[in-house]
Amino acid sequence: MTALVEVQNIEKDFPLTGGGHYLALKGIDLEIRKGEFISLIGHSGCGKSTLLNMIAGLDLPTGGTVLLEGETVKRPGPDKMVVFQNYSLLPWLTVRQNIALAVDEVMPDLGRSEKDAVIDEHLEMVGLGQAGTKLPAQLSGGMRQRVAIARALAIKPKLLLLDEPFGALDALTRGNLQEKLMQICNEHALTAVMVTHDVDEAVLLSDRIVMLTNGPGSKIGGILEVDIPRPRQRLTVVHHPSYYSLRSEIIYFLNRQKRVKQWQARPHKVLARHGLEKVNLDLGFIPLAACAPLAVAEAKGFFAKHGLDDVQLVRETSWRGVLDGLVDRTLDAAMMPSGMPTWMTAGGHGGEPLPIVTALTISRNGNEVTLARRLAEQGVTTVEDYRAWLGSHEREPHRIGIVHPASMHNLLLRYWLAANGIDPDRDVHLQTLPPAQMLADLKDGSIDGYCIGEPWNFRAARSGHGVPIVGDLEIWSGHPGKVLGAREDWAQAYPNTHIALTKALLEACRYCADPAHWPEMGELLSDRRYLGINADLIRFSGQPGESGAFAPHGEPHHLFFGAGLNRPSRSEHLWILTQLARWAEIPFPRNYVEILERVCSVGVFSTAARELGLEDVSYQRQGIELFDGRPFNPEDPIAYLNDVSVHRDFSIAEIPIGQPRAMAV
Amino acid sequence: MTITASTPSSSGPLLWWKHHRKLILPPLLGIFGFLLAWQLSASLGLTRLPGPLSLFTETRTRELLLYPFYDRGGLDKGLFWQTLASLGRVAQGYVLAAVVGIGAGIAVGLNKTLNRAFDPLFQFLRMVAPLAWVPIALVIFQKNQPAAIFVIFITAVWPILINTAEGVRQIPQDYHNVALVLQMSKKTFFLKVLIPSALPYIFTGLRISIGLAWLAIIAAEIVMSGIVGIGFFIWDAYQQNYVSDIVLAVVWIGGVGLLLDRLMAWLQSRISPGQ
Amino acid sequence: MTTIAPATPAPPIDIPSPPQPLLRFEGLGKVYPTPTGPYPVLENINLQVEQGEFICVIGHSGCGKSTLLNMVSGFSRPTSGQVLLNGVPIEKPGPDRMVVFQGYALLPWMTAYENVHLAIDAVKPNLPEREKREIAMEHLAMVGLDKASDKRITQLSGGMKQRVAIARALAIRPEVLILDEPFGALDAITKEELQEELLQIWNTQKCTVLMITHDIDEALFLADRLVMMTNGPAASIGEVMPIDFPRPRNREDIMEDPKYYELRNTALDFLYNRFAHDDVE
Repeated sequence: MTALVEVQNIEKDFPLTGGGHYLALKGIDLEIRKGEFISLIGHSGCGKSTLLNMIAGLDLPTGGTVLLEGETVKRPGPDKMVVFQNYSLLPWLTVRQNIALAVDEVMPDLGRSEKDAVIDEHLEMVGLGQAGTKLPAQLSGGMRQRVAIARALAIKPKLLLLDEPFGALDALTRGNLQEKLMQICNEHALTAVMVTHDVDEAVLLSDRIVMLTNGPGSKIGGILEVDIPRPRQRLTVVHHPSYYSLRSEIIYFLNRQKRVKQWQARPHKVLARHGLEKVNLDLGFIPLAACAPLAVAEAKGFFAKHGLDDVQLVRETSWRGVLDGLVDRTLDAAMMPSGMPTWMTAGGHGGEPLPIVTALTISRNGNEVTLARRLAEQGVTTVEDYRAWLGSHEREPHRIGIVHPASMHNLLLRYWLAANGIDPDRDVHLQTLPPAQMLADLKDGSIDGYCIGEPWNFRAARSGHGVPIVGDLEIWSGHPGKVLGAREDWAQAYPNTHIALTKALLEACRYCADPAHWPEMGELLSDRRYLGINADLIRFSGQPGESGAFAPHGEPHHLFFGAGLNRPSRSEHLWILTQLARWAEIPFPRNYVEILERVCSVGVFSTAARELGLEDVSYQRQGIELFDGRPFNPEDPIAYLNDVSVHRDFSIAEIPIGQPRAMAV
Repeated sequence: MTITASTPSSSGPLLWWKHHRKLILPPLLGIFGFLLAWQLSASLGLTRLPGPLSLFTETRTRELLLYPFYDRGGLDKGLFWQTLASLGRVAQGYVLAAVVGIGAGIAVGLNKTLNRAFDPLFQFLRMVAPLAWVPIALVIFQKNQPAAIFVIFITAVWPILINTAEGVRQIPQDYHNVALVLQMSKKTFFLKVLIPSALPYIFTGLRISIGLAWLAIIAAEIVMSGIVGIGFFIWDAYQQNYVSDIVLAVVWIGGVGLLLDRLMAWLQSRISPGQ
Repeated sequence: MTTIAPATPAPPIDIPSPPQPLLRFEGLGKVYPTPTGPYPVLENINLQVEQGEFICVIGHSGCGKSTLLNMVSGFSRPTSGQVLLNGVPIEKPGPDRMVVFQGYALLPWMTAYENVHLAIDAVKPNLPEREKREIAMEHLAMVGLDKASDKRITQLSGGMKQRVAIARALAIRPEVLILDEPFGALDAITKEELQEELLQIWNTQKCTVLMITHDIDEALFLADRLVMMTNGPAASIGEVMPIDFPRPRNREDIMEDPKYYELRNTALDFLYNRFAHDDVE
């Protein structure tokens, strides 16, 4: 595959009429391979049409270049034909004449009959064989756009550029045309770039979706690969597990852009009070049972008690939201999966390494693996059964849902699968999905199962769509689940606030650990500000051994507070680093001692615990041992890593994370 | 675009009348009422203006009506010849105006600098009344015939020019983009995109101008004594106090003007249908 | 809805009759005469809409959705059957049913306030001027336009225009608010904002809403029930899908609900599989 189009470091600056200038796009790099279908998506004003125009040569960049087959694009031409939103047919010409005009102009050497054949072929292609003699005014909008597409394709462009081609059509007419376009693109192996604001359209048609951030200075915020096999059909693609996860990813991205914009429009003042550097905090969380300490701290006034007068809990729908909130500083701190601090510090999120500190482990346990009911009906009740079942169902795709690559679900699930002779990448495919969609996918059979925290396992069991197969007690009892995380530069800038926050949450954790409070916590979390589901679906812990001595599946065992439970543990985070490296999420950092030292804010925790008079929970040395009994020696992580049989090609590298610095306030 | 899709197939004239009487009756009644009021006011002596019936009762006008083709030499010719002479002048001036107007209009429409340079001048010149041009024209050309043609030209050219320029400016950016992407030659762009796109505007200009030209020629001829033409015919009749002749000529002028306008509309519908 | 027949003898007249649906479509049909013969647009539409319900109507273009709404608004009369509002057949337009059009239908030379005021003035001419002013401003504030009330329509963006149109419709307190693809011409963000505002207003005003849409997600977010139309000619109601997400609704919560995907797929299946439609004829 070679790059047909190379967009290299494009920048576009518009002079404004009233003086000054507007930077529309900045630093855009994109390679488009031959035969690819690319969508550009973003909010209005993000410069997506500008980018398309520059690829078309209708507009020239103020910086950078666009190459088509290695040659700089300087002017428009028929080799990069554009389909415009408002069809741009000449109304005084019939459908045939419109196409003929293009064909005559671009292929002057063809004979009349050959030209006619080309026109006929393309009219047929778009299903308008009968309408050749009609004037555009006699056609519906959808039909006019078909003519425009036929005209564009008739001149055999190297690259087809579509500027919101279906934007002027109603959502339903659009659907038919999308299918038609997709079919044509498939049959003729076209390379196409389409600007759209329609998420479903982008997922349905594209090989890759390029998401642009808001202007000014829009850049590529992310590129999604659409791994749905072709040929695609509108009705069947929605059952592919990637469909809704891609869709939610884009919707998430667009909402994020919107929120950042709204956030930027608000005034942001740092309120310092009570000897704290900042008392107005935005704390991110996602709706899981493990978020109870945050909800309790808010409801029971623990934040206020420790001087944090104005704490807003920001409900994100995915860990992605938490991550982005920390990256772009719209969040002060957040509840995050225990793998996230080291993962971000090592640059696992794909950007520059972003040092994150954690001063508190909020919860332990609470995760389980659920398999679809249809598997249980075929007798799959243990991991051995599952391995055998996979062996006999090799042809089908096997997907298991996870919520985030840096979450403990992913790491435990992988560890568990690998230790049981199932390669988590080759034998099955682990896919990041939003929790709500996992349940729907489980139901319609597009995933085998998932590993997630409560309430999603209990919900699956309750609704009868899934059967828990293993709980985390049987993989690593007492593993860290969720932790408090903040940017290191934030923690440096607001050290006393950081301690106060840790104190408030530690106190809330203690509250949550008392079983007498669970019914009340269930009621609290059922509020729509938190989980928004029935209280009876929210479980914090079952009675150990309740459903049999061995397998307490279906019951979480959240641990919120206790000796050695809340203090950030360097050896646990080191184990996480080994696992992240094992599955090639990040290279194993040669400077892991430095990273762990920076990530684990043991000092903040100790101060908080001491000030609360809870020194006894502070520290308890315990080794890490998972269900397979393989010992983890924190003194020699690389040996541990080298010792595992199933792993990806991991590397060991120095990860420079710079000197600790305080955020500019 | 409205299409009345009622096609009387097996019905005959009666059904046709049924369908169309609402279109035909009101104008007929209106005209009849107007003529009646006029005739009554003349008969009752409310005005010295002869009534419409006098066109038939008076010998002079009856003769003029019945024999439009007579030619006794000199200026004494039938109304047909008088009109034809006027129309001839209009045709020459108008064609000239159309050629210059469309040509200059396209140039101005395409070129912003030209537009800025000349637009104030055009706006200024177009406000000058046709009659005011007559003495200037006579000074320039010294002769009646070319002076009359010049007056037609200078009156008719502005609406054509300004509308054409506007039509060219109004070509949607989309069409320009299509032309750019297809790398259309100048000629193709001109013939296939620019002209058809601007055509409705050009025709609007042409229709306004034909009316103006016809108005102007009458005015010009009245001033230019001693030529064959419907304008001078009126002047002559006025000098000799043939009031009925004047009334007849006015009716005639209105009729010809209406015909000219219809003619242009028909041409437009033939040349640029459906726009 | 079932009403339990009373065991006692027929009640005397002065006892209120059992609650009846606000709107009732009874065997509604519409035939347009054309040169090539009569063309049936709608046939045998039966539907009951309760007071305070939010109904969305979806279907391919040409399925007669607008014709349906026109018969509710009274712009057009059915050729068969009838639409009853509170048990009375609808025969002509009236202020108890207000329509919001996609093209806004505002008077461009007037300000936002004047447009709303004009409607109040037309419907309740006898109200004291002070009250008219209050009502107009209250409804403009409801759609967040109290600060822009003095702006001319031509100075407003598409979303703001549609807000004025909604304020105007609501200011005369209609029993039924009819929306004909009100957000079709707006960009995604404005559309979402307006949808949220509309829900809020509907919640506080407790009016009944009948809305045409082409957008499944919009319907899932807004409606209590989604009426899915079959294709014309002679279109009818193919299926009525109840959407029972709890209210007040939040877009993200709904997306988190597994049922969202189920309902969405059902609607997609109806529109693209069972009643697929090609715009080429």
